[in-house]
Amino acid sequence: MMEFGIEVAGETLQLHGERAVFWPRLRWLLLADVHFGKGAVLRRAGVALPTGQTLDDLQRIDRLIAHYQPQRLVVLGDLVHGRAHHDTPWVADVQRWRERHAALAMSLVVGNHDRHMDAGILGFERIDEVLCEGPLALGHEPTRYPGHYLLAGHVHPGVNVRDGWRKHRLPAFRFGRSVALLPAFGRLTGLYEEPPRPSERIVAVTPAGLLPLATRAR
Amino acid sequence: MPTTSTTSAAWRRAEARLRDWFAAQGRKPAPFQRAAWKAWGEGRNGLIHAPTGTGKTLAAVGGPLIDGLLHPAKGLQLLWITPLRSLATDTTGHLAAAVEAMGLPWRVLRRTGDSSSAERARLRRGDCELLVTTPESLALLLSYPDVATRFANLRGVVVDEWHELIASKRGTLLQLGLARLRTLQPDSRVWGLSATLGNLDEALHALCGDGVLIGSAARKRTRIDTALPGPGERFPWVGHLGLKQLGRVVQAVLEVRTALVFANTRSQAELWHEALAAVWPEAPETLAVHHGSIDPKLRLAAEEGLRTGALRCVVATSSLDLGVDFSTVDRVIQIGSPKGVARLLQRAGRSGHAPGAPSSILCVPTHLLELAEIAAARRALAADHLEPRHPLRGCLDVLAQHLLTRALGGGFHADQAYAEVATTRAYAQLPRAQFDAVLDYLEHGGTALAGYPEYHKLVRDADGLCRVESRRVARLHRLSIGTITSDGSVQVRYMKGARLGAVEESFVARLRPGDRFLFAGRHLQLVRVRDMTAYVRQADNRQGGVPRWMGGRMPLSGELSGELRRVLADGDAGEAEMKALRPLLAIQRSQSHVPQASELLVERTHTREGDYLFVYPFAGRLAHEGLAAVLAYRLAQRVPADYGYAVNDYGLAITARKLPPLDSEAMRQLLHPWGLRRDIRASINLAELAKRQFREVARVAGLVFNGYPGQSKTMRQLQVSSGLLFDVLRQHDPEHPLLWQAEREVLDQQLDYARLRDALLQAARGPLRYVEPPRLTPLAFPLWVERLRGGVHADDWKSRVERMLAQLEKAADR
Repeated sequence: MMEFGIEVAGETLQLHGERAVFWPRLRWLLLADVHFGKGAVLRRAGVALPTGQTLDDLQRIDRLIAHYQPQRLVVLGDLVHGRAHHDTPWVADVQRWRERHAALAMSLVVGNHDRHMDAGILGFERIDEVLCEGPLALGHEPTRYPGHYLLAGHVHPGVNVRDGWRKHRLPAFRFGRSVALLPAFGRLTGLYEEPPRPSERIVAVTPAGLLPLATRAR
Repeated sequence: MPTTSTTSAAWRRAEARLRDWFAAQGRKPAPFQRAAWKAWGEGRNGLIHAPTGTGKTLAAVGGPLIDGLLHPAKGLQLLWITPLRSLATDTTGHLAAAVEAMGLPWRVLRRTGDSSSAERARLRRGDCELLVTTPESLALLLSYPDVATRFANLRGVVVDEWHELIASKRGTLLQLGLARLRTLQPDSRVWGLSATLGNLDEALHALCGDGVLIGSAARKRTRIDTALPGPGERFPWVGHLGLKQLGRVVQAVLEVRTALVFANTRSQAELWHEALAAVWPEAPETLAVHHGSIDPKLRLAAEEGLRTGALRCVVATSSLDLGVDFSTVDRVIQIGSPKGVARLLQRAGRSGHAPGAPSSILCVPTHLLELAEIAAARRALAADHLEPRHPLRGCLDVLAQHLLTRALGGGFHADQAYAEVATTRAYAQLPRAQFDAVLDYLEHGGTALAGYPEYHKLVRDADGLCRVESRRVARLHRLSIGTITSDGSVQVRYMKGARLGAVEESFVARLRPGDRFLFAGRHLQLVRVRDMTAYVRQADNRQGGVPRWMGGRMPLSGELSGELRRVLADGDAGEAEMKALRPLLAIQRSQSHVPQASELLVERTHTREGDYLFVYPFAGRLAHEGLAAVLAYRLAQRVPADYGYAVNDYGLAITARKLPPLDSEAMRQLLHPWGLRRDIRASINLAELAKRQFREVARVAGLVFNGYPGQSKTMRQLQVSSGLLFDVLRQHDPEHPLLWQAEREVLDQQLDYARLRDALLQAARGPLRYVEPPRLTPLAFPLWVERLRGGVHADDWKSRVERMLAQLEKAADR
């Protein structure tokens, strides 16, 4: 399945297999940890990495926009990975993509990587605080936000899933008691897996769609 | 380079001074030592092989010392390369003593990863004549632009413990470094020191091309004893820990002053240390544990304790196989099979250092069949059947690292570098196209078809000179030089700061704060994990687990398994071990069959869980894993079903709910060597295996940066997992030379392809016995209890998800 509905703090959210969350009541599309330009940063440092990642990721956002027709796109931090240099082609790629979606409001809740660059260049509204909306708060780092249920990024959550004698290491949505962690949207990002906690609802992201895991109370 | 004839009076006078020094210590140079001095004097290369403690070091250094007396000069004369940093300190001391005794004004210096900055500065000024260093530090020296002046006076290189380096990427790196030195100083000699190997000629050739082999006539006797089960004692059919034998081991340890207990894996060492500590009647500080993941400081303390005799017992892994001699050790105990003849010999050699004293080792079997392995090892040793250690061929990742080193060390032209590299045994058959592909990777990032802008590791100027321009690339490269890799490891340290060592990230990932585990011989409790460090505090007992490290278990060597087959087939074997094993073999014989030395036994048994097919090629667990996959795949071609498999060193098991009817003819067809490579590709998910192997390849080739302690945030920003890179490269640049390297390593190392193929050829030629025993036989039982290692599956992610969902729903219904 590509989509999975989950209820949290009285709101219904649609999780999507492309590692995104759609909030139907407001028609908001939420992404975390996009890390545009990570490939360029690595190449400059001598890590041989072929190009094409940013364009791939832009296409994935295009498909999500076409599917949900959102009114606003909110990135929960780490839109970019590092400083952009004048000869960095990905900046122009993102700007052109932004122009194509000029009518769509796009906001960035600033993450630690975003200090490298002014997101305004890419046409994103910059939000320096946690963004509160109804019972939900949208932030980057998963530090509890009293009075609200926080959706956050930053950790690139993952989970190990047993499959007979095999084990798969997969990105995951992890919904805790008061904080939910979104998987990193950028394909070129790492994974931090933790054993499931009893209170968590976990939905793993496989290349073939979502896999909601049953967590038994221990 | 001037040499003095070894028959001249001057040479004899200089040699006499060395002999006087020997005489002053009440010794006489052995004939092999004098032969080595002479050969050095004649300007030849060579390899000296002799057991430990017979004077190899003096055999190698005598020539250079005489040479130094005859041709006094300033600046680096002799380079001494040692595989271990801990050895370097000791060796430096020995060599300095010999230099002083000869009255040579040489300054002896040590340069390793943990040299002080004062030592490094002296080295930069060229303030030494004899330098003791490691292969990695040599590579680092070669990465500075003034490399030609540094080695301008070099007269020779000695490689200590060459047998430890030869079969690894470190050995490949050293071969490349030596080739570089030969270009800089064509007359410099290259000598090696080695323990006895099955392929000394090849070892000599890999080290220095042409040269002389010099061996000592002294033969050290080795005595192998076994802790035999007592009469009437029930001894397990399977197991690998052997803690049942604790009583015997404690007794054997306490009988002598100092004992060394060898385990085969790090977890086994930890558990044995814990068990010994629980019953240890002496002061607790006289017992220690030593393995490769323990912090160097703690390891050094254990080594020091052994040297001074403060310790009565150390439980160790192969981390103590080589290194400084411990004259205090009077007994060596081996837990479980040593898996190789050379390894057993080397471990036994850690005892009985007094000249002429035999070395002896007590083997403690962990299950019954290991008795036969011990008997086989004794026979192989008596017949001098030692394992060869083959140098690796054509590692593209090491080549990439070396080329970048060369680019930093003054730059190179592609043709010259190719010619130089091709003089080594490791790259003698390297096609130019592959060399160019590696160069392309350094220059452009990968193959020409994929795009890598901004990437300029290596720059070629108008004259075709390849250099490094970016200072950042230079700095990162120098920081990550070397081929030893410790992957994804998490430091373990006390809250107060003392470091204990490193465990694998995956182990820590399973722990929660408060969980307890056993490590470095201590009961610890996890406090928190931060910045790749697990902070712990002392706990009073253990409830949790013991870390497991990857790549722990060695396969049974070819020499030992060949001998094992002969010993098992030998009905009249008179060894005490074989007598103890007779009842078990009688059961095997009555229920099924004991295979002859060249015979392949196949058993099929029905159990409650389903049908089992057991095949016993005795080819080692790695080859069996590949073979099991192929066999399962071929079975699935005949009758589609789910087949799982398990392996051990003796054979493999295939299991299915229902196996098709089989007989010896059908087995012959299923095991034929035809189309082996094709079937391996079809049966094993090579990509998934290669992805794991790629971690090391990527690091050696400088594709990922490992980071270093205390690194800044901006460095961390550069970290990218090799698995991610692997996926991206496969998608965007599938012809990348490093992908090819990873897949080759999977075939050669993880699946032991050569042995796998030999096993099938052998099966096709020799007799095959097919039996259907009513119940599990003694040979089958250990395989039956092994965890399933894998299976044949042809599923994609879609069907995987469907299956996992179905399982989860089933679990929820329960």
